[in-house]
Amino acid sequence: MAETEEEVDVLVQRVVKDITNAFKRNPNIDECGVIPCPEARYNRSPIVLVENKLGVESWCVKFLLPYVHNKLLLYRQRKHWLDREALMDITCTLLLLNPDFTTAWNVRKELLQSGVLHPEKDLYLGKLALSKFPKSPETWIHRRMLDKSTKQQQQQQHYGETEQAGAERSQQLSDQLARTLHQEMKVCSDAACRYPSNYNAWSHRIWVLQHMAKGNIKVFHDELSSMRLWVSMHVSDHSGFHYRQFLLKELSTELSQTSACIPTIMTSPQHQSSTVPSSCSHNHSHTQANGELPGAEAAEDERQLGFHTVFQLFHEEMELCSDLIQSFPGHETLWSHRRHVFYLWHNLRKEHQQHCSINGGIMSGHPKDSDLCLPDGDAQSCAVRGESVNGQRQASEPMEVDGASLPEPCDSKRLKRGVLLPGPPALPSEHSFVSGVLDRCSNPEQRRFALAYKKWLDTVIGQQP
Amino acid sequence: MKLYSLSVLYKGPTKSNLLKAAYDLSSFSFFQRSSVQEFMTFTSALIVERTTQGSRASVKEQEYLCHVYVRNDNLGAVVIADTEYPQRVCFTLLDKVLEEFSRQVESIDWPSGNPETINYKALDVHLAKYQNPREADAMTKVQAELDETKIILHNTMESLLERGEKLDDLVAKSEHLGNQSKAFYKTARKQNSCCEVM
Repeated sequence: MAETEEEVDVLVQRVVKDITNAFKRNPNIDECGVIPCPEARYNRSPIVLVENKLGVESWCVKFLLPYVHNKLLLYRQRKHWLDREALMDITCTLLLLNPDFTTAWNVRKELLQSGVLHPEKDLYLGKLALSKFPKSPETWIHRRMLDKSTKQQQQQQHYGETEQAGAERSQQLSDQLARTLHQEMKVCSDAACRYPSNYNAWSHRIWVLQHMAKGNIKVFHDELSSMRLWVSMHVSDHSGFHYRQFLLKELSTELSQTSACIPTIMTSPQHQSSTVPSSCSHNHSHTQANGELPGAEAAEDERQLGFHTVFQLFHEEMELCSDLIQSFPGHETLWSHRRHVFYLWHNLRKEHQQHCSINGGIMSGHPKDSDLCLPDGDAQSCAVRGESVNGQRQASEPMEVDGASLPEPCDSKRLKRGVLLPGPPALPSEHSFVSGVLDRCSNPEQRRFALAYKKWLDTVIGQQP
Repeated sequence: MKLYSLSVLYKGPTKSNLLKAAYDLSSFSFFQRSSVQEFMTFTSALIVERTTQGSRASVKEQEYLCHVYVRNDNLGAVVIADTEYPQRVCFTLLDKVLEEFSRQVESIDWPSGNPETINYKALDVHLAKYQNPREADAMTKVQAELDETKIILHNTMESLLERGEKLDDLVAKSEHLGNQSKAFYKTARKQNSCCEVM
């Protein structure tokens, strides 16, 4: 059937209409797919709607796709006129079959800009296209354009209003933002589940957080904990783990920044300088020692609190990583995640120690001094930390020594302070983890990754001053 | 990591027959599920037919791994998983299922049994529970238990076939695969060898 040009014309127009009608009949369609069916069954539409799923029988695709494709190109070349309705229908059909057809998205972008098309509609179309083509770059790009413009629109509306209405609006705005955020996270999760290591989906997720939740520690924190199970079930998904690395990095920057900027809000401008570890702050600190020290102390306390939280996050991440490596041997993703997390932590700790040594000078004589400088104030763990920075000495030293001495000070401290302070991820603990794996595991891949990690520790971390 | 199907089969002298099966095809697109299910059944039966009694094997096919265990009494089980899923846990599951099955279903019923006549309902529960290997199997971290060297590894389905036999022919001849599934198989083959058109 449908051999002559005329017949194809009639058929395709009917199919496009059927698709449009299917959406009108069921606005909750949540998935699109092609049904393998080499031949047409007589007198039946190739568009099938079952539950909330829209199916296109495969035999008609070879007629449908070239036809709508050509029609749109002719319109673009101004050789053929299409009204807005027809344009929307044709681009919808086209994009469901081939969502990487940029011209079709561009036509829809123009429709959006002229106000005929609601952005919600395109977010929905994009979601459907991703249900069949979860990687489609053009769909993700279009999505970012939509997200950006909706956000701008919302903000513009917000600026135009009076102050009283503004408060109400700002609540609405944040609700709206939370909804959009949730919706985007859902789309990304679905796409990530449909295609392993879906770089495009995870990049979009990162982009969304950067543009809609920048600086929102709670959102980042929630993301980190909600993704925990997901990565545990997708232990070879590089992109998923990379997302966690991004979250950790953002969180550690945010947490140390928030605490650093608190004094600017709370105390006099004179005070700001004392939190900045520069040479001039030394002079300031002497004058402050008489009068306003509590402020500086509070700021420092905040900083420590931020660092404690970061410390806790990194500790948990390393625990998760160890657990996964031991449960699922032979996945390189897990080892490279470990490498990245440890590297982040290593750099962070170095910065923190630099800060401490400067501030330690300022605050000398203060009774809480040692507590403030290192999360675990004991002299013993101080020594462990000091050693781990000096990697060369560390690497040559036997591990049992550190392995045995490390947990103890922490335990005693837990009792003393009632605060949970686990052993920090450090070179000795990493080395003992690796040798533990090498001792127990016979999986050749796992051994190879463990040895590579060890070599990396020795050459990259160990060689640093 | 994901388990897609878990089935118990009886290995007859020439053919194997399916006794009971459970599927989790939620990760496949809706319109593919029925075909995928038929293929998993077809593959499981074929693998049991080609596996000798008293042996364990893992067969790799694209991004899937089919783990099989056929006991000396001709009772066999197949679990189809993705490549991430730990192999050892799969074999623990197979041991457990076969043991339980042979306790609940009389061995006289095996040779002539089929999913309608066999009364054994635990497969769905097992399949659901084992989706998270760490929760289902507390021993995940202990690697020593199972002697992995005794598991035969086939890198493709083709290596199970006899000389001159072709998977395409077996698919075409199969009575258990519907036309839609056969069409699905052809497109999947094509897409695997060349870039995706649609």
